[in-house]
Amino acid sequence: MALFRLQGSRVLAVDLTDDAVKARNGSMVAYTGKMTFKRLTGGGEGLRGLVTRRVTGESMTVMEVKGFGTCFFAESAAEINLVRLDGEKLYVEASNLLCTEATLRTGTSFTGLRGASEGHGLFTTTVEGSGQAALTSAGPAVVLRVTPQTPLSVDPGAYVAHTGNLRQHFQSGVNWRTFAGEASGEAFQIRFEGDGLVYVQPSERVTVGGQI
Amino acid sequence: MSQGFGPPPPGFGPPQYPPGAGGPVVHDAHTLPADDNVNPYTFSVHLDGQWFLQRGKMIAYYGQIDFHGLGHGPLDRLVASSFHSPLHAAQWVVAQGRGRMLLADRAFDINSYDLDQGNLTIRSGNLLAFSPGLALKQSIIPGFLTLIGTGKFVAASNGAVVFVEPPIRVDPQALVGWADCPSPCHHYDHSYLRGVLGGVRMLTGLGGLSGEEHQFEFAGAGQVLLQSSETLMDGIDTGSVPWEPGMPGGPEGMAGGGRGPGGRGPLPF
Repeated sequence: MALFRLQGSRVLAVDLTDDAVKARNGSMVAYTGKMTFKRLTGGGEGLRGLVTRRVTGESMTVMEVKGFGTCFFAESAAEINLVRLDGEKLYVEASNLLCTEATLRTGTSFTGLRGASEGHGLFTTTVEGSGQAALTSAGPAVVLRVTPQTPLSVDPGAYVAHTGNLRQHFQSGVNWRTFAGEASGEAFQIRFEGDGLVYVQPSERVTVGGQI
Repeated sequence: MSQGFGPPPPGFGPPQYPPGAGGPVVHDAHTLPADDNVNPYTFSVHLDGQWFLQRGKMIAYYGQIDFHGLGHGPLDRLVASSFHSPLHAAQWVVAQGRGRMLLADRAFDINSYDLDQGNLTIRSGNLLAFSPGLALKQSIIPGFLTLIGTGKFVAASNGAVVFVEPPIRVDPQALVGWADCPSPCHHYDHSYLRGVLGGVRMLTGLGGLSGEEHQFEFAGAGQVLLQSSETLMDGIDTGSVPWEPGMPGGPEGMAGGGRGPGGRGPLPF
């Protein structure tokens, strides 16, 4: 079984013993031992996944790393966050997903307006199964728990990923004052309700909401 | 398993989570710190009432919080007591309600500071948020803002902030702000550029300059805040000042630095 650990906060080290992980294409920075790097088409989800990704535009080029030894991954000096999944589903932007164990299944799901508000497409990547995944974020992500009593609102530009049984809806604070030049700059938020964890990064991507 | 690398030295990097452990700390609405840092890059505000934020720096919140742009409306009185320069008011947002609110700015280091009947002048781009006990004013120094009163404010910096006491000379790019002491003056260290050749060198740069000939000099009692990097953060508009005789700088654009090193405007007649 592949063993994920952090070497510092910006390099992921994965110990492999004749098993495989899926990682973002080109994210390997070094390795020891004997490894093969095979590019997977369509995010490693077979023909159906390939078609889905083509249609949805949630693009992800992935390689399969297999062998013995330790492989090091990094991406633009972004902070790396480890997530352990025990059968639940992780929703994450393809641009934030660095590496997953080969046992985890990846797919795409519809996000609706939330995706559009983040400046991404209308679709997001899902990771499902049991095992570890590594996410990248601009600055170390803060993990926030959502309970039925304490719903959470997140700026679309700071959202990275979420797990658990969460309903999300789009909350808009746009009113006539936005257009009268008195915008609050926090016009759009995603509201999470239910039970689960949300990962936010201490930095905001440029989003549609951020510019209004 | 081949293992060519030892563990990082103690104190290096983030906490190392042993495999299979719970992973990173999970915060919820009750365990988030009240008016303190969650990590060096994220600050958690315990909101009960109002706070002022720079636009777009809220990343998440629990509870019932509304965000209002500044302008005419129910917050008029609050704004009137906390803002004394209407021109830069458009950059600010009032957060109103109850809950925990997380602030962050492009993964820069974030710190909070308390003022007790104090005053502090800070570079406009570094100030993220402040509580309404403080009044925000435009500093006489272009590009800087002054906070006066009692309350808490949150500032971002490129690298950790260092506090030093005057007398001190600091690099202009490393300066974040200063508290309680008089505004700085310029200091030029051109003593090695002597004679005709030195003059030519100073004007043309031929022969090389160290790049550290110009500093800000602080005197008096107080604190000077420096960031541990010479990369400036983008400033926000501090607004312009209506020109009248006696204003430092020139009539066209205070931030432009007036005319020439003396910064003299035209004569009033």
